[in-house]
Amino acid sequence: MKSKSKKSNLYSFWFVVPSLAIFCIFFLYPIVTSLYYSMTVWNFDSATFCGLDNYKMFFSENSLSSSIVHTLIYAFLTSGLKVVIAFFIAIFLTSKIRTKGFIRSCVFFPNLVSTMAVGLTFCALMHPTKGLFNVVLQAIGFSPINFLGDINLALYSVIATDVWKGLSISVVIYIAGVQSIDKTYYEAASIDGASAWQQLKSITLPLVAPSQNSIIILSLIGGLRTFDLIWAMTGGGPGFATDVMASVIYKEYAYGFYGLSTAGNVIMLVLISCIAFPLQHFLMKREEAIQ
Amino acid sequence: MKKSVVAVSLAAVMALGSVPATVFAEDGAKPYEGVTLNMWMSVSEYQDGTKAVMEKATEELGMEFQVEINPGGTEGDNIIKTRCASGDLPDITNYNSGSLLTALNPKEHFLDITDEEMTQKFDDTFLSCVSQDDRVYGAPFTTTQAGAVVYWKPDYEELGLEVPKTWDEFVSNCQALKDAGKTPVYLSGGDTWTTQVLFLGDNYNVLAKNPSFADDFTAGTAKFATDEGALASWDKYADLVDFYNADSTAAKYEDGLEAMATGQATHWFILTQVVPLMIAAHPEAEENIGVFAVPGDDAENAGLTVWEPNAWYINKDSANTEAALAFLDFWYQEENMDLYINTYGANGPSCIKGYTLPDSVAPAIREDMQAYFDEGKTAPALEFLTPVKGSTCEQITTSAALGQIDGATAAQMYDDDCKKSAVQQGLGWE
Repeated sequence: MKSKSKKSNLYSFWFVVPSLAIFCIFFLYPIVTSLYYSMTVWNFDSATFCGLDNYKMFFSENSLSSSIVHTLIYAFLTSGLKVVIAFFIAIFLTSKIRTKGFIRSCVFFPNLVSTMAVGLTFCALMHPTKGLFNVVLQAIGFSPINFLGDINLALYSVIATDVWKGLSISVVIYIAGVQSIDKTYYEAASIDGASAWQQLKSITLPLVAPSQNSIIILSLIGGLRTFDLIWAMTGGGPGFATDVMASVIYKEYAYGFYGLSTAGNVIMLVLISCIAFPLQHFLMKREEAIQ
Repeated sequence: MKKSVVAVSLAAVMALGSVPATVFAEDGAKPYEGVTLNMWMSVSEYQDGTKAVMEKATEELGMEFQVEINPGGTEGDNIIKTRCASGDLPDITNYNSGSLLTALNPKEHFLDITDEEMTQKFDDTFLSCVSQDDRVYGAPFTTTQAGAVVYWKPDYEELGLEVPKTWDEFVSNCQALKDAGKTPVYLSGGDTWTTQVLFLGDNYNVLAKNPSFADDFTAGTAKFATDEGALASWDKYADLVDFYNADSTAAKYEDGLEAMATGQATHWFILTQVVPLMIAAHPEAEENIGVFAVPGDDAENAGLTVWEPNAWYINKDSANTEAALAFLDFWYQEENMDLYINTYGANGPSCIKGYTLPDSVAPAIREDMQAYFDEGKTAPALEFLTPVKGSTCEQITTSAALGQIDGATAAQMYDDDCKKSAVQQGLGWE
């Protein structure tokens, strides 16, 4: 009897083996080896162990540590803006308006264009003298703004572009969430004399929480990993003003500092995990509390 | 009868057409008939001048060429390193001299040309940049160039300005130009590498104050933040912040080329390789462009920081080393060097001893730059004297140029950056 149950346990185990093998070979093994290489000076031929020096350098050198700060600003700001703005757009697009289909396509359109193309286009639009934005600003009597050349502004210009481009996915998720809310809640509320704002606050907002949570997690992780838009628009410049972790890691790699760039990747993995897992946990709790 | 004549002559024409080369081979003047040399170079090297000499070599020596294009930059570096490691080098490689060459470990991969006849023609500064353990591995591809100031002469004439010998004179010239409503200095911050030229091109002045700076720097004892002359290089950026073009943060190298060749700005800190390109785009600019060295403190000792050219390297294990050597020998025949320069132009004086630039070369190169060489007031750029270069140099120079950080901060940042490079290269700096 006992041996039989053991056998059946083992029997089911074999179903897991293929995926476990793939996971170990392509995920676990690279993570473990990258942990080792992040503690070496590595040039592909030979790796000299150097302890935690690469990590120390990443946190102590200004150009590297500032990239961590920029990454956090970028991720939280893009995520926050997308969550708030997309919510109102989704509410608007689920209301009784005529050109709903057309406007929904328009909102989704930026997402169809490749990030590189968006980046290069906005880079041209934001050109300090020839860009369309500044031409318009000057035409209506304002002084030109150096969107991408001013260190205090450059990161926010890229963030604005990211929000413009990334909004659509959040809107689509929100729309799905809003449409799945049972209409009877609204009917009951309006019979009780609730205003539109009260309905929005007390019915829509709580019940859309599951979609909102997906948006927060997706856009935050996307923001932490961002590379392509930064690379197309500023290349991390001017100076170090828009360097994020991914762009710094790329530069260190291109320069042949493989150990250091691996250490950057490990830091990024830890950073994303440390933010994403607790946040996920917190959001799930909140979702359960509402239900 | 008529038909057969036509047929025979047609056949003859066809036979001629299919084997045109062998028909003329009988006179024996083409020793490398049938040899195909594989070459590897970037688009900026595979230009009309190079093509003209290669065509002539095919005509006279018989060898054919097959060119692979080097994508350039770090991507190109990675390709050549991989090809070295896998033993897949082309017959002739066109690549940087100096620290980038050292990183390839040339004695393992390239033919030792120390005892070749042509090697005796190369000047010593160049030889030092293509040698390892006193053996020579490379031959100069083109002329030298400098990291210097390209300037628009008509503005100087209009305001009666003198070519500055010191930094203070330069800054006061800029002020005068600004007061006259001109753009004194062009900054092409959209291509960040160009912002380095002021700093890198100041190396003559650094070495003038401290001749052992390069060696001490490699050893890790001299620092930019603490060496007086080296710190002065960084401080220069702060003096220019108010003199730039309106789109300085976004302008590209090509924009600078266009603006300078049409007199929209007066000065540009740039590599002189831009001069032939400016003249190609705007032939009338030839007489209006001048070049002077990045000014230092000492009016008596104003000198130019020189970049040695890329070099040709022959694959040690190639089956065609003889043909490759013959091609290089052909390259350094005076008439062929003339052909190259008359077709493409020159970036600076030649590193071939005893060779004078033909009259077709722009006065900016043939007179302005040559004067520094004739007086012996030149020094190689730091990257030819040390293997250490900070990886974020161009970001730091951009920050400094835009006035985001002051000279002392920039120098400190660059020291940290170099330390990072040195540690990653295993130089054991502490």
